This record gives sequence, C-alpha cells and structure tokens, in this order.
Amino acid sequence: MSEQQFERGTSLSIFAADRREDMGALIAALLIALGVLLVIGK
Amino acid sequence: MIYTKKSPALLIIGVLMLVWGYLNASGGVDGMQSWLQKGAYSDHMKVKEKFDAELRVATEMAAAESKPVPAMKMAASNFDKVKGEQAQLSYIVGGLFAALGLLILVWTPKEGNLDYYLGVVPGTAFIVGIAFAVRWVLDPVFANWGKGVKDAGILSWDFAHIFNLNYVVLGIVIGIVIVNVFSIPGWAANGVRTARFFLKTGVILLGVLYSAAELAQLGGLSVIMIGIFVLGSVGMVLFMGRRMNAGNSMTGILSAGVGVCGVSAAVAAAPVVQAKAVEIAYTIGTILVWGVGCMFLFPTVGHMLGMGPVQFGAWAGTGILNSAQVAGAALAFDPNGIETLKVAEIFNITRVLFLPIIVVWLAAWYVKHEEGAQKVDLKQVLVAKFPVFVLGFLGMFALSSMGVFAPAGHYQGKYFSTEQIKEDHWLKGKETRAIEGELKRLQEPEGAKALKDHFVAKAINIGQRHATPDDAYKAMQNLIDSKKMMSREQDAILNAVAKMSGVDAVAKGAVEKASKAAWHNSKLIGAFRNWIAWLFAIGLTGLGMQITAKALKQAGGKPLIIGGIVGTVKAVGSLIVVLLFVKEFV
Repeated sequence: MSEQQFERGTSLSIFAADRREDMGALIAALLIALGVLLVIGK
Repeated sequence: MIYTKKSPALLIIGVLMLVWGYLNASGGVDGMQSWLQKGAYSDHMKVKEKFDAELRVATEMAAAESKPVPAMKMAASNFDKVKGEQAQLSYIVGGLFAALGLLILVWTPKEGNLDYYLGVVPGTAFIVGIAFAVRWVLDPVFANWGKGVKDAGILSWDFAHIFNLNYVVLGIVIGIVIVNVFSIPGWAANGVRTARFFLKTGVILLGVLYSAAELAQLGGLSVIMIGIFVLGSVGMVLFMGRRMNAGNSMTGILSAGVGVCGVSAAVAAAPVVQAKAVEIAYTIGTILVWGVGCMFLFPTVGHMLGMGPVQFGAWAGTGILNSAQVAGAALAFDPNGIETLKVAEIFNITRVLFLPIIVVWLAAWYVKHEEGAQKVDLKQVLVAKFPVFVLGFLGMFALSSMGVFAPAGHYQGKYFSTEQIKEDHWLKGKETRAIEGELKRLQEPEGAKALKDHFVAKAINIGQRHATPDDAYKAMQNLIDSKKMMSREQDAILNAVAKMSGVDAVAKGAVEKASKAAWHNSKLIGAFRNWIAWLFAIGLTGLGMQITAKALKQAGGKPLIIGGIVGTVKAVGSLIVVLLFVKEFV
C-alpha cells in the first residue's frame, strides 16, 4: 500500500480530494433519498 | 501510516446510546422526557384522556351486558412517536458503534482501506453522540427555558427563539466549548474531519425541499423585490470583501448569509467556497446579532412611518435576514393580525428560494477568484474545480420540481386537502349552528360594517382585490353546507373572520377545527427535513470543534463591518422601495 493512497486531504476532510468527498456526499444523499422514498412512499 | 487508535471510547459511546434507547423504550426516562418534550407530552395526555373515557364507557357497557371488557389499545401519541424515534435511532446507531468498537479492541490494524475508514469511526461517533445530546436534550431545554422566561413575564419575548438557540447554533457552540475548554481527544481527531462530508450530504438533500412550482406561486412583486435585494446584497458583499481583503471564502459565505436567508444559507454556501469553520461562526454571529437589532428596530420604524400590514410584511421579509426574526418582527408589529406575518413569510420564502441561484453564482465566483481566471480558461477551471455536490443539490431541486418526491404544494411540510379530511373531523350540528348564528349576525348592517372594516384594517386580500363581506358570507354558507373546508381561499377568509373581536367562541372554535382538519403534514417532506436536520447537527458540531480561540482572533472584525454596512443598505433600500411601490397587494 503506498503512502499516497492513504494520505488524508486537508485538515478539514478525511478525503484525499474535494471531488472524492463530493462524490461520497452525492452517493450518500441519493441513498438517503431512495431510502426515504421506499420506506415512506410518495 | 496506521490511523486506527486502540481505545474503548467507541464501544463506550455505542453502549451509552443503547442504554438511552432502552430507557426510552422501557419508559425509564418518561419523567425527564415529559419535561423536555412538553408539546408532545400534552398531546399524549389528551390521547390518554380520550382513551380512558372510551375504556370507561366500554367497561360500563360490558358490565351492563355481563360481557367481558373488549381488548382496547391506546393510539400512539406524538410523545410515544418521539420516544420511539429516539429508541430506534439509538439502537441502530449505538449497535453499529458498539460492534465496531469491539472490532477496534480485538483487531490489530494494518495499513489499508479498513484501517483508513475505521480510524474515522470513533471521532464520528463522538460528534454524532454530541449531536444526539444537542437535538434531544439541549435544544428542548433552551426552547422550554426561553418560553418559561417569557411566560413568567421576565422578558416580553422568547430569547431562545429570537437568538436562534436551536440545534444549529447550539451544535456549533458546544463544539467550540469542547475544543477550547477540553480539547478533542486523540482517538476522535480523525473523525471530527467528517463534518464537512455530513454538511455536503445535507446540502444536496436540501434541494429536495425546493420546487419551481412553489416559486411560480409567489407574488410577482415579492420575486422582483427579493431578486433585486438578494442579488444586490450578494454582489455588494462580494465587492466589499474583495476591496477589504477579507479573503475569498470569508467573503463568499458572508455574501450568502447576508444576501439570502441567514444561517441555513451560510451553512449551504460554506462548502461551496471552502469556508473554514471559524468563517462560518463569524457569518452566523454577524447575521444573528444584526437580525436581533432589526427585529426591535423595524416594528418601531414601521409604526412611526404609519406603514400598513402589507408594507411592513414586505419590508421585514426583505430587510431581515433570519426566518425566526422575520416572524418575530412581524408579530411585534401586529401581534393580533396574521396578514403582516403572512406577507413577511411570502417574502421570506421567496428569499430562501433564491438559494440555488446564489449557490451556483458563488461556486463560479469562488473558482474564478481562487484560480485567477484572467490567466486561465474559466470554462476549463469550472469543469475541473466546480463542486460536484452543488450539481447534486441542483439535481435534487430539478427532481423535486418534476414532482419525483412529493406533489407541488407539499414542500412547506403541510398541504391543504379536502379529500383527506376524515369524517369524524367534519363539523357537528352544534358547530354549524354556531356558524349560522354568526352568519346572520354579520349580515346585519352593523355586523357587515364591522366585517368590512376588519378586512380593510387587516388587509385581507383575494388575489389582487380586497376580500368583501360577500366573500365571507359565501365561505361561511359553504362551510355550513359541506361541514368541512373546501378550498384554501375559504380557509384564509374564515380564519380572518374568526380573528374578529366579538365572534362567538363556539363558531371560532369550529372554524379553527375545520381549518386544522384540512391541513395535513407531508410525511415524506417531514422525513427529509429530519434527515437534513441530523446531517446539519452532526456537521455543525464537528465544525464547532475546529474553531479555536486563536482562529477567532485571527479572523478579525471585517465580517461584522461588511455585514453591518450591507445589511443597513439593504434595510434602508428596501424601506424606500416598499414606501414608494408597495401599497396593498403582493
């Protein structure tokens, strides 16, 4: 495992890059939205 | 590098959550919860009272007929739902943390993905645990405290409501206290950095609560006025921030806070301009201090200038930044009227709906100024640097505008529906007779004059004209015939009639009952709001933990100066426009 692969990004984030953090947030938000729609229904 | 630190902290947090879940499920903290959740507990007592009465009747009937008492179960009250939610969440989250806490204790970490992500969990659990305490304990404690001080007559206003001492502000404050007084424990340091991820997820989900259909329903004047003042003040803060060298991220977040809708706009814009935690704290502080000043000043100025309800509502909704403070100023100006509050809220909602536009503007502005767009291709820079989560927010906004999540009209969390009124909520004979009595009284010349004067004084309008006594008569007759509210317009007119002095108490109660039965909570929007509130509570607690006293000193007083100047220009400018152009209709 290389040092770079597991290097944290800025002191504000656990992700190595902002884009990665954005994509993670996007996936999390979509999963939550889907979950809410499935559990509660429209 | 190994990130996972061997510590029993995660296991302890998980077990504490499981205990809290058990205490809620078993009724072990009912005494404390009945004080914290006063509103829900009062609902619980009503449901219990009704159930006890039904049980008594059933027992008496069974005894008279020599039959066994039928099995009956009390309906779930709001109090049961609140405790159920706390127990469920505590079991799920606590169980997960306890299991991972055990794994950390027994596993010898090796460099890799498992270590990278597991190392984050204890700190995440730390901020999640504090967010639980803030939302479930501190938030209701302050709400009760503020109300108690007001009810006791010590203050004439609810300080917790006016100073926005809810989970948003309390989460940041608790975070600041922890980092400055106790410092963050070593095992939690990595996890605290998940704060921004939670905020970004919350911002993307925020898009669900906006709908283009809602925007289209708003009055033309509110859209034009808010458009000019929101975009104008954002532009002015961006200009001043650059001139005063306040820093791009500080300027960006302050512009959203001062221009759009206060605290939530600042939180939404923070990741867009990569704002530091201390800059968010400064922006929120500036907005709240400024807003409190406005809330006391606006009603006085409004009365001095003899402004009408529509004029004052338009001014407060444009000039004051924070939603709670807009409502506070409107009620301070006209405590018994709903029209000022209604107009102020129309403007307030319009301003909030401008958030998507501002988010995109700030994203482009920030990328341009950070990268020095004069030297590079802006398009290329935007493609490379534009925050993807903003697109997620806009994507959610587009989906909600298409009606994917909820029908248009549900986005405020409540919606009007005649079809969904249950038959046992229809008006009874005694109630319709009381309305008939009021209808006759108001059709007499004296009653008709009082009704007309009331509509003019409170600026009760239907579209672009004043409501007339005839509108009220039709609405009342319709309610008598159908025993339920048939339209939003009827609901608005009859609520205005019910607020007249001298209206019979039974008739007033009947209108309020019919109105309450016609408005329904959107479960879906409620669930989304709950998720967003949790994500923001967790994110803001973590952000608070990044604000040290040293960082606050370094930030200086520039945000307060810029916010104060722009806020004053906006307040005075909107006052002039309102006095010149706003007369009676919005």
